[in-house]
Amino acid sequence: MQFEVERTTVLGRPALSVRGELDLATAPRLAEAFASQLSQQPQSLVVDLTDTTFLDSSGARQLARIARSAADQGVALEVVCPRANRPVRLVVDLLELRAVVPIVESPSLMENEVGP
Amino acid sequence: MRNERGAHRGAESGQSAQPPGSDEALQRCADEPIAVPGAIQPHGALLAVTEPDLAVVVASANAADVLGGTPASLADVLPAADLDRLRAGLAGDLAEVNPLRVTIGGAEIDLVVHRADGLLVTEWEPLAGAEQADAVWHSRLALVLQRLSASRTLEELTASLARDVRALTGFDRVMVYCFDPEWNGEVVAEDRRADLEPFLGLRYPASDIPAQARALYATNWLRLIPDATYRRVPLEPAANPVTGRPLDLSGAMLRSVSPVHLEYLGNMGVVASMSVSLIDRGRLWGLISCHSSSGPHRPSYADRVAAEFLGRTASLLLHTTVEAGEQGQVVAVAQRQAELVAALGRTPRRPAQALTEGTPTVLDLLPAAGAAVRLDGRLHLLGSTPPAERVPGLVAGLLARGRTATDVLGSVVPGAADVADTASGLLAVELGGGRGDFLAWFRPETLREVTWGGNPHTPKTVETEAGPRLSPRRSFAAWRETVRGTATPWREHEVEAAQALAAHLTESALQRAGEDNRLAAALQRTLLLEELPKVPGVALAARYRPSAADVVGGDWYDLVPLPSGRLAIVLGDVAGHGLAAASVTAQLRHALRAHLLRDRGPGAALQGLGEVIAALLPGELATAVVAELDPETGEVAVASAGHLPVLHATADGVRLLSEGRGPALGLLDEVHYAETRVRLAAPDRLLLYSDGLVERRDVPLPDRLDALCAAVAAGEEPEALLDEALAALDPADTDDVTLVALGRT
Repeated sequence: MQFEVERTTVLGRPALSVRGELDLATAPRLAEAFASQLSQQPQSLVVDLTDTTFLDSSGARQLARIARSAADQGVALEVVCPRANRPVRLVVDLLELRAVVPIVESPSLMENEVGP
Repeated sequence: MRNERGAHRGAESGQSAQPPGSDEALQRCADEPIAVPGAIQPHGALLAVTEPDLAVVVASANAADVLGGTPASLADVLPAADLDRLRAGLAGDLAEVNPLRVTIGGAEIDLVVHRADGLLVTEWEPLAGAEQADAVWHSRLALVLQRLSASRTLEELTASLARDVRALTGFDRVMVYCFDPEWNGEVVAEDRRADLEPFLGLRYPASDIPAQARALYATNWLRLIPDATYRRVPLEPAANPVTGRPLDLSGAMLRSVSPVHLEYLGNMGVVASMSVSLIDRGRLWGLISCHSSSGPHRPSYADRVAAEFLGRTASLLLHTTVEAGEQGQVVAVAQRQAELVAALGRTPRRPAQALTEGTPTVLDLLPAAGAAVRLDGRLHLLGSTPPAERVPGLVAGLLARGRTATDVLGSVVPGAADVADTASGLLAVELGGGRGDFLAWFRPETLREVTWGGNPHTPKTVETEAGPRLSPRRSFAAWRETVRGTATPWREHEVEAAQALAAHLTESALQRAGEDNRLAAALQRTLLLEELPKVPGVALAARYRPSAADVVGGDWYDLVPLPSGRLAIVLGDVAGHGLAAASVTAQLRHALRAHLLRDRGPGAALQGLGEVIAALLPGELATAVVAELDPETGEVAVASAGHLPVLHATADGVRLLSEGRGPALGLLDEVHYAETRVRLAAPDRLLLYSDGLVERRDVPLPDRLDALCAAVAAGEEPEALLDEALAALDPADTDDVTLVALGRT
């Protein structure tokens, strides 16, 4: 599968859908897409790994960097990585990425999106 | 301004809304016999005579008016002395004869001769009514020529030409007009009466000067129409008796021009017009076009010869002047290329900085509105470019089509039309290293501001009693046609300069990578233990296998005997490769040692290491696992910072320690790491390893971990255990692989 970072929206939030293999070679492209999204100063952002077929330590570290810089800029980041995507989820879990960013099964409603 | 025009829009027209019959009209116009009009203008008379008897066989109908009678032979009209001078001249170069100043019936007349269709064509132009330039002008000719030849650029040459031709001939407006490769023309220089509207920069479509007129202009240097409202004077008889066809007037100064052209001039309010060809090495390059609107205007033959002389001189200078101008641009690009290479040499480890922050930047290398530099996967943009996320795709799209440069990106790369305002032109060169790095330059959609003289899409056919006929445009107000999605073309030397800069960057990056690898390999060796420490009661084995890519990774392991008598076993991995990772690895290894020696347990040591990273190495990310073994009791405390789980082989089976885990180092500034404890029985073994052992693209990580558990067993010698693990997992050689195994003895 060709690697691709697609800009989409999930539940009204800007999202980056990562398809294919996220590794040493492709991690810079995720970084570019993320930087471009961040420059729009969104309140929140979703990184969707549902269609990510492979994640190596370099890719995982890129996710970690993204999580850090989102936190630094006050952007509510959420990483979607279903347990069904076992190979990818295990790498995410190994690094304990959830210490810096919520790892969720599917996109969740943000509090500020729940109307009165 | 136009010269003789006939056909307007050729097959390229593509107009669907043309009136019926216009094809026929276009064809008729293209066939218009401009060289054999069968008539002359009335400001002189024409006699075509046979040689050597000089008998008149064709005469213009006004011969009697000009010469006082229609002669049967030149002997009837020329005084004997003049006749002798003419006969003498006919034996030699006719150019030497012209003009022969004669006086007939008290009137001074310039006689000009040439040969055509087997006849001697004599043209008689009375001086009365002609304008004469100041004698001063002719005395300044040397100065004028000097100024022309001293021109360093085309702009200087053409400006000087327009100014001097106007000073000489006294026309209201003199323009220098230059053809593009498609024969569209542009006014590149102009000298005019101050009250006239400027035409400088106006463009005219190729159809304004049809091919037949261009062919004529390439051989006939000068055309004159002193009064565009003239009545044509027919030649009698209409057919040249020698050939049976109308007389060829292509070399005649009195030739009557196309009525379409006269109408064109009339529409412009031009009464008098003259044009001189500019011919570069045999090809019509442009024209000097002179207009007067204030009334009829006829420079004398002598002044016309001088104007033609200036045109011929400028023609000879064109090639070298254009070349010198281009050479100047080539030199400027080469100069900036050298400056950039020098800047790269001063800061070899910060090429992006050298290219984007210095003077000049990569954007200054060649004329462009924007530039992009992608180095080590990081994109830097300068000037006016498409959005960052579009740039890599546009570059990849162009390169994938085997192209380096285009001035119509929208029609080369699908989906690029929407960035035409910044990137109609793209010049891109790939940098080596296989990381998708590149240099790119962007040019906007040129308002190529084709300022046509009139709207080329307006049909020009009008109905007359004789049927459809072409009519020149009524309006000469500038009409702008923007050529959408087209940028100024990239020139060959610009592409070459970009490629040369890219080659330099690639080569120096390779050199740098080579140096880095040697340094990193040396550093890595210091990270590995020459010899494993001898710890009573503990059997140890360790392996480090570098990646085959000749790139040093960030793995490290360490064995640290602690003051309490315990032994700390460490295995860590810093993100990244190469010299940078190796130096971070060295710092982490030593920092962790210091924290371990405080002997407060593996969790506290990892916490301390995390604080070191937060304080001293922000942005770095590492994973590490620490196991502390008490050789006496077999007690082991394990803490992991995002690292792969430690393998524990017991007599009952093999398991991975999933407890005692915390986030990778560098994720958070302050973390408390939990510890997990196991007891190592005599045959038990622990295995610590890096991701290089288990990470494989084609097999999911959980399966690889299962395979690792299946490959090893309690009771094996640590060395043998490592052999088994490596043999069973056969790790890919793209990453470095580190393993440490231990057991109690």
